[in-house]
Amino acid sequence: MLLTRLLKPSLVAYAHCDLPCGVYDPDQARVEAESVYKTLEKYHASTDEHFKARAIQVKEERAELAKHHIDVLWSDYFKPEHVQKYPEITDLCWKAAKQCSKVKQSLDINEAKTLLDLIDKIGDVWTKAGGPTATRMAKQMARA
Amino acid sequence: MLRRVAVAGSSMEPALRDGDWLLALPLRRSPRVGEVVLARDPRAPERLLLKRVAAVGDGRCTLLGDRPEASTDSRQFGPVALGDVVAWAVFRYAPLGRLGKLRDRD
Repeated sequence: MLLTRLLKPSLVAYAHCDLPCGVYDPDQARVEAESVYKTLEKYHASTDEHFKARAIQVKEERAELAKHHIDVLWSDYFKPEHVQKYPEITDLCWKAAKQCSKVKQSLDINEAKTLLDLIDKIGDVWTKAGGPTATRMAKQMARA
Repeated sequence: MLRRVAVAGSSMEPALRDGDWLLALPLRRSPRVGEVVLARDPRAPERLLLKRVAAVGDGRCTLLGDRPEASTDSRQFGPVALGDVVAWAVFRYAPLGRLGKLRDRD
């Protein structure tokens, strides 16, 4: 015990990575984009003006959240090594963020579909880059 | 004076692992490329970083982690002033199974 106390380091040096938690998943953006899509479906199916006004507001909030999650992936998760290996990621993140703005402006459900497709392509790169094991915690296995 | 240092983080794997205990010597000369050094974080000087020297020149040096995909280093915060490179990590004394001198890398 005493020996351990004597040997214990007096300094900590950080061989670290800045990531506050290191958990990243394009599904976070996808859930918001799905919300946008479904909200637009409901918007077009409704004749209630009050409901439609609320739907527009929700759609715009969700699109902004999707944009935020894409931005976090782009600025915090993807590193120069990833870009070197998967150069398409730059363009994908850029297009997806812009698509979020388009979705905010538009009531066209096809724009929401395009956003989902772009997020899925980002998700493919994230998977190829080892994201699922590098950034997510495994779910606890169900006990037998 | 020899300092005892605990490693936090995994950007220096496999050479150094989170929780390793190291001995470090004050650096009174310029760091050399390939050495593992302790440097003041340019963004938070009270914090010490543990990285490998990738390049030295003109009063500054580039510090990189061994695992680029899991490291925040000169790629983000730029080169570090040589005066902020305070020590040189020379020896691992725990865990005992991996006791030994730290090797330079080119």
